[in-house]
Amino acid sequence: MAPSYDAIIIGGGHNGLVSAAYLARAGLRTLVLEKRHVLGGAAVTEELFPGFRFSVFSYVVSLLRPEIIRDLNLPKHGLDILPLDGTFTPLQPGRGPKAGGGDYLWRVNDHGRTIRELRRWSAMDAEAYEEYGQLMVEMARFIKPILSITPPDLTSLDPRPLLPLAGLARRFQQLPQRQQAVFVQLMTMSASDFLDQWFETDPLKATMGASGIIGTYQGVKSPGTAYVLLHHYMGEIDGAFRAWGIPKGGTGGISNAIGSAAQALGAEIRTEAPVARVLVRDGRAVGVVLESGEEIKAQSILSSLDARRTFMGLLESGTLEPSFEEEVGRFKFRGSSGKVNLAVDRLPEFKSLPGAGEHLRGAISFSPSIDEMETAYDDAKYGLFSRKPYIDMIIPTLVDPSMAPPGKHVISCFVQYAPYKLAPELGTWDDQREAFGDAVIDRIAEFAPNIRDIILYRNVQTPLDIERTTGLTEGNIFQGELSLEQLFFNRPVPGYARFRTPIRDLWLCGSATHPGGGIMGANGRIAALEVLRARGRNAA
Amino acid sequence: MTAPLRTYDAIVIGGGHNGLVTAAYLGRAGLRTVVLERRASVGGAAATTELAPGARVPTLAHTVGRLRPSVVRQLGLKSHGLSLVSPEVRVFAPGSDGRAVVLWSDAARTAEGLRAVSAADAARYVGFDRLVRSLSGFLGEIAARTPPDIESPGLVDAIGGLQLGRVFRGLGRHDGRTITRVLPMAIADFVAEWFETDAVQAAIAWRGVQYTAMGPWSAGTTAVLLADSAGNDGGAAGQTVFARGGPGALSAALEAAALAAGVEIRTGTAVASIASRDGRATGVVLVGGEELSATAVVAGIDPKQVLTQLADPVAIGPGLLWRAGNIRTPGSVAKVNLVLAAVPRFTAAAGDDSLIRGRIVIAPGIDALERAHDAGKFGRPSDDPVMEATIPSLVDPSLVEGAAPGTQVMSVIVQYAPYALRGDGWDARREAFGDLVVRTLDGHAPGLAASVVARQVLTPLDLERDYGLTGGHPMHGEHGLDQFFLWRPLLGHARYRLGLQGLYLAGAGAHPGGGITGQNGQNAAREVLADSRKRRR
Repeated sequence: MAPSYDAIIIGGGHNGLVSAAYLARAGLRTLVLEKRHVLGGAAVTEELFPGFRFSVFSYVVSLLRPEIIRDLNLPKHGLDILPLDGTFTPLQPGRGPKAGGGDYLWRVNDHGRTIRELRRWSAMDAEAYEEYGQLMVEMARFIKPILSITPPDLTSLDPRPLLPLAGLARRFQQLPQRQQAVFVQLMTMSASDFLDQWFETDPLKATMGASGIIGTYQGVKSPGTAYVLLHHYMGEIDGAFRAWGIPKGGTGGISNAIGSAAQALGAEIRTEAPVARVLVRDGRAVGVVLESGEEIKAQSILSSLDARRTFMGLLESGTLEPSFEEEVGRFKFRGSSGKVNLAVDRLPEFKSLPGAGEHLRGAISFSPSIDEMETAYDDAKYGLFSRKPYIDMIIPTLVDPSMAPPGKHVISCFVQYAPYKLAPELGTWDDQREAFGDAVIDRIAEFAPNIRDIILYRNVQTPLDIERTTGLTEGNIFQGELSLEQLFFNRPVPGYARFRTPIRDLWLCGSATHPGGGIMGANGRIAALEVLRARGRNAA
Repeated sequence: MTAPLRTYDAIVIGGGHNGLVTAAYLGRAGLRTVVLERRASVGGAAATTELAPGARVPTLAHTVGRLRPSVVRQLGLKSHGLSLVSPEVRVFAPGSDGRAVVLWSDAARTAEGLRAVSAADAARYVGFDRLVRSLSGFLGEIAARTPPDIESPGLVDAIGGLQLGRVFRGLGRHDGRTITRVLPMAIADFVAEWFETDAVQAAIAWRGVQYTAMGPWSAGTTAVLLADSAGNDGGAAGQTVFARGGPGALSAALEAAALAAGVEIRTGTAVASIASRDGRATGVVLVGGEELSATAVVAGIDPKQVLTQLADPVAIGPGLLWRAGNIRTPGSVAKVNLVLAAVPRFTAAAGDDSLIRGRIVIAPGIDALERAHDAGKFGRPSDDPVMEATIPSLVDPSLVEGAAPGTQVMSVIVQYAPYALRGDGWDARREAFGDLVVRTLDGHAPGLAASVVARQVLTPLDLERDYGLTGGHPMHGEHGLDQFFLWRPLLGHARYRLGLQGLYLAGAGAHPGGGITGQNGQNAAREVLADSRKRRR
């Protein structure tokens, strides 16, 4: 007889594991099925080169919801987040401020120091920076509760799900008008236009604006990117951690901690157990079939895979209404980022600030100007990888030396843009992988020429590789573009933003749902709570 | 008791079409109203210029089909001389391959013609037209209303909200879900959901980017397209309606309607500042120093100018002043007007003049639109400009009555021509830009360049200097999602009241935005009159 569970979670990424933990915590017999040999999905640590361990895909964390950390007691399960201090933006020679020298912009967590640095550029910007920071904290505080609610269906005749929205409207009304206006701007403007209202320093706007385009197929001047800016700001207010950090042992450390918590709560986890399809009987999901042919039954099936893989990949055709399939087909992925992982002999040396100083311990942002950011996007729009890409570089070994042999380092480079769909003349990503890697190294060498001499090993992850390894459609790191029409009650399909699917007992619990991507865990948690509510159980 | 001279119930700053509409409504309601126009004639962007002897051309705007029918009816514009004429053809979009996409007022006819391009696109066109009409119909309802008061909603707002809710539900579940999904979408994505042919996509998408500094891949351009069809018969193709005698004839009809309603109109009268006391607008001071007082001061000009240049900064306060300074006005449209010795021969029209009586859209593909936009982002006019031309004399021969036989006039709205150029300014580039536009048209209609008798090039800088449009933006403010409905021009100031008690906004900078609709003026007049009734009570 086939084994039977209360709940099966397809996919052992961070959201799937969070769902599993919450369901197990409520007493459900829960099974997680992960196709790979490692847990974590895009939040994995792997030893790609002997002695060097990499956060292969996702590489930093700030958005992980504090309630999840608390509820699942993650520190006990090994979660340890090491702070990354500051953002260093190297510039081309002569592009620094006239006074004071130093062709770079370097912001750190020490507020006073950052203000002094900004004064080097612009007294007005230094002043505006404080006001801006305060405002963004207010904004993040306002929007934070939205991360924990289930989006309503506006066209539904049932008014109950609209209540959280009414609460939101009331809170909005209570904001001062200026904050209301800024909130609207954040939801609608481009990162560049939004920042223009406060700042004049080009590298400052470019570097801040970069968080508006991470993971999207949009440029800093594209309307809607201010929202992504806020999305990335959200983590900065929780107080549990400082700004952005890196998990000890890489992002796989987070997944392992959540996995361990889930197991401690009674969930079962099977790796190397790829699911071939979901079993549907009479419009109801009743179990899954593994690629091995094994059948496993369960009352609730939660898929942490993206919408296209879930609905187009795991269901027999004809299971869904054609109109629903059409809506799923419309959902936009458009992966736009790549990753270059380097094992190095010694540290890179920046022309504008030589030496192995503190500036290497935070994020190193290759974002010297708005124009260069936008030009990088313009390349990508027409199917080219950026000739001068935006790179967010981290050297994890400076805060967590366990990732490499003594004295050696690993470098993580998140790169935009690398459009999933290349222009026909470029062929496929298999043809362009190393050329893309070279473009990234060339860009780094512009600012740190010794990079070419220190590389021991290079691993290039194109969007195609990300798709192949993690299953993320088109390599989109958020399981679907964070564009305005794909947020909240439209994520992933209008009318199906409440984690339910047209198939009874089949649920979505990954980043494809509200509130979107990033190592946040909110999706997995809310989905689990919705499942429990539907089953008439409390979370605890 | 008589009121002292130079005291009015309402002063309207700016005699553009919306200013005139407001003034006419106020005059009809018995308010003593004066319109102050800086230029020598009223009409603003709805004007006609005699470019060569006997040849008159639409100066800026060239079609008037977005005008709200209720404005035409209520102000009796037809009896004041307005005569509208619309050709069967709406859009003729020649491609680089010598073929054209043609959109007709009859969707079935369009579909029929599209069959030669793509059977799939032909099959979907009528359904797309239905969807656009449904969604635009909803926006048309919104456009005719004053955005609700979200600060302290009263009974009227609650009723308005319920009415809007009913209209929303009237869309049905499918269209209701669709509109929340597509409004913030990029127009390139919206048209791609329906059509496979690049040329068809671009011919339709054009209106989503027209007058904006956005490309077809920019979020919110679908809202621009749908708003363009709101409250008119545009549908998927968009309106193509001409005023007989040119757009100036519309302004003349509005002027006549206003005068008939007892409105005083003073041209050549520039306002230097708005006078205020204790947070209340009390009148205006003219450039010559003359002071006029009024209970209501209504601005037909753009809100950025009103708040940052005419109003007293102390009365406005630093917060609102900062916000007003950030109203986005990235002008990106230029105008080229031509007098031609003969009808241009578009290769793709193959001698059929009935095809070129509507809007001729040179936007050969989505990427072509986007690339033209790319240049604009970096402060350069595109080397391959995209544009919309009309030859109104084909539909309204009265425009060339006094000219040599065969003469035609052509009106060309060109994008992307950024107001903020890098390097040489517009004064140094004007003629080269005109050459580029003529050359581009000549590429589609060989011989056109040689037939040019007279030419006028109006750059975004001219639009600012001569027409008072801040940033050269013809819509008084970008049609972006960030300047829409409840937050057009600014959140908290979308109800036609602007910054000071007794100061109102009636122009394109207010909801529902720019274009010759008269809607803003109609809505603003309603609010001015509501306040005036409250005071009298």
